[in-house]
Amino acid sequence: MNKFKRHVSGLSLVLALLMVLTACGGGSKGGEEASGTQASGGESANSGDTPEIVMPFFVLNGIPEDMQAVNDEINKITKEKIGATVKLMPISYGTYGQQTNLMLTGNEQVDLMVVGTWFNYTTQVAKNQLLPLDDLLAQYGQDIVKTLGDNYISAGKVKGKTYGVATMRDLADMYGLVIPKDVLDKYQIKTEDIKTFDDVGNLLATIKKNEPDSTPLVPFGPGDSLLDNYMTYDNLGDKLGVLPGDATDLKVVDWFEQPEYADLLNKIRSWYEAGFIMKDAATNRDSGLELMKAGRGDVLLTRIKPGYAEQESRLIGKPVVTIPLTQPQARTSSVANMMWGIPRNAKYPDKAMQMLNLMFTDKDVANLLAWGIEGKHYVVKSDGVAGYPDGVDQNNSKYNLNQGWMFGNQFLTYVWEGDSPDLWKQLQAFNDSAVPSKALGFTFDQTPVKTEVAAVQNVLNQYKMALEWGTVDPAKVLPEFRKKLKDAGIDKIIAEKQKQLDEWAASK
Amino acid sequence: MGTTLWQRTWRNVARNKAMYVMVIPGLLYLLVNNYLPMLGLVIAFKDVDFAKGIWHSDWIGFKNFEYLFKTSDAWLITRNTLGYNAVFIVVNFAFSIAIAIFLNEITSKFFSRFYQSVLLLPYLISMIIVSYLVFALLSQDTGMMNHTILPLFGIKEISWYNEPVYWPFILVIVNLWKNAGFLCVVFLAAIIGIDKEYYEAATLDGASKWKQIRLITIPLISPVIVMMLLLFIGRIFYADFGLFFQVPMESGPIMNATNVIDTYVYRGLMQIGDIGMSAAAGCYQSIVGFVLVLLSNYVVRKINKDQALF
Repeated sequence: MNKFKRHVSGLSLVLALLMVLTACGGGSKGGEEASGTQASGGESANSGDTPEIVMPFFVLNGIPEDMQAVNDEINKITKEKIGATVKLMPISYGTYGQQTNLMLTGNEQVDLMVVGTWFNYTTQVAKNQLLPLDDLLAQYGQDIVKTLGDNYISAGKVKGKTYGVATMRDLADMYGLVIPKDVLDKYQIKTEDIKTFDDVGNLLATIKKNEPDSTPLVPFGPGDSLLDNYMTYDNLGDKLGVLPGDATDLKVVDWFEQPEYADLLNKIRSWYEAGFIMKDAATNRDSGLELMKAGRGDVLLTRIKPGYAEQESRLIGKPVVTIPLTQPQARTSSVANMMWGIPRNAKYPDKAMQMLNLMFTDKDVANLLAWGIEGKHYVVKSDGVAGYPDGVDQNNSKYNLNQGWMFGNQFLTYVWEGDSPDLWKQLQAFNDSAVPSKALGFTFDQTPVKTEVAAVQNVLNQYKMALEWGTVDPAKVLPEFRKKLKDAGIDKIIAEKQKQLDEWAASK
Repeated sequence: MGTTLWQRTWRNVARNKAMYVMVIPGLLYLLVNNYLPMLGLVIAFKDVDFAKGIWHSDWIGFKNFEYLFKTSDAWLITRNTLGYNAVFIVVNFAFSIAIAIFLNEITSKFFSRFYQSVLLLPYLISMIIVSYLVFALLSQDTGMMNHTILPLFGIKEISWYNEPVYWPFILVIVNLWKNAGFLCVVFLAAIIGIDKEYYEAATLDGASKWKQIRLITIPLISPVIVMMLLLFIGRIFYADFGLFFQVPMESGPIMNATNVIDTYVYRGLMQIGDIGMSAAAGCYQSIVGFVLVLLSNYVVRKINKDQALF
């Protein structure tokens, strides 16, 4: 009996704990709902039937405290201009893919959302989760088409229909290296002298010679191989079959079989063996900027654009310069990685497109989303750039989203203090100067070969990082890598890609 | 006499009303959380199209399963998953039973509690943190192994994240370190429940400590051991994702030794995000787990009917 009593008391303890847990869950849910109704506009009382557009997007640095205040300000404008309110739904980047996936499969109302190849865009299209936007664009989105231009609009097309609309930002891909200015000065290296991959090797050799204990080259970020940040070709979405940079026709080739690829691997291997590269590069989990800040290295390769050097200088805390290594190229992947789409679950697709159009045309909406409320989160300085108001800085600002590139037309927003005042002009020129890839506008649908893609991805995961950081000897491992890719069916993927590309070209 | 099965059942329920009411939340939880989602298994056999809805999407047979068996990796990941889990079970059980017995011999209550807590602590640490602890030991640039410990013995630096031969040991040790504490608590609870009179009688008869352990402790806690064993065998085709994904730091050259079915599926589908294929993997794992539980329960039943789960 005594034993039984003990069991019962144990059980009731567990039950009590469970109840506490469920109460907590219920509580937070209630909170969510409360904030939800709040978000639907404090004014919903007097305008019960104003449509509300639900608009999820991702945030990189945490959800700003004053999101709701900004949302309310935006609603004032949208109510007047498009007769709708929006419910901004910030979701942290790490969970965005999963959470929106749940919302879409769970049939929740989502009217306008960030889509793109970062978040399985082509699968969403193949599974019919997104609406074709062509009619809506023609009816409500004329300004979007005008701003982006046909080339960049076409990047959101799959099989002739548009499912995503990019934002006006840096839309071309250019790769280069980032290096602190004092390092260049110290060794009297001119930026003009560095143009090719080999030049980078020479630069690394110079630094290594003078600082034998250093490993000057660091990765840009976790999971990034060196060659992920040095692409001289159009990767056609996934690198499984690419279009070489100097391609004159639409012939898909296997990048990993190219002599150029083997050549690059040999160079990287020699760098690694000479101690130019951080030894843990292939398993690194830190951001390259953090590594640079901590003095672990001086050079990294990444995707660059006008204004990038200023941006990184601020983060690292000392002036850095960027040196381009490739020509800017406009590819589907550089445009389609982040777009806006209207899901099948949308309740107000018309209003959603109007909202998108508004983000492309309305300076106030664009600035609200990018920088917050004027006077509170930012002020416009005398030379027309925006900056923090007195007493506000990066750390205590209640709206430091800093994601102007995500909402509509970034060129409508103010340039931030410290950037060149004509930054948007430079970016526009950068976009215009980009050579469009022959396959710009082609999006590969992986679903017909998904079995092979899953297998090939696993092979890539096993070999790519180690080979492309020089940790293993390409003479021994590259043939093995190539053979496993063949076994996993990369040829079938390339054949399918070629077929889709030919169909796409024929339909153009 | 004269009472039917139905009547008997009803009387039983009436007599134990309170007990049955207490069962309801648990049953509901099981139903909602474990049984309802099983309907989702149909997704594994469909080409999901949201325009048609899940139920009306086209049936495609076993096409979603193909990628699991397509390459030579299929054998590798199956071997790794089953092999590691089998080793984990043997090593973890052996160690935690031994530790539980030792702990039981500690007479000081303070130390007994202290050791229990210390052993349990790793179980509560997130795998991500564990992966960094391991990295702090094994890193090439800064790791303690290469820079402090190995030089003491005059051994040359080892490139841990590139040498697959070490990883079976590393993973088994990390897993043991992390999970032994929990199992140990379960066994300790069982040991404490043993009536002290057995030991007193044994001591009077002059049985040594070792004999007491072998002939009293182990046989008396064997029902718990068998039950835990069956539970673990049911999960034998599910690898600890955190352990196999986080701890090896995504290092390619050691993947032959660290790739298991869960990590294979994750890596393969990261880019495509196909729910049909992930459902197929889950379905395959559950079926293998189910079969293994039935089998091992059958074996236990053959040996000792009382200890079988069903």
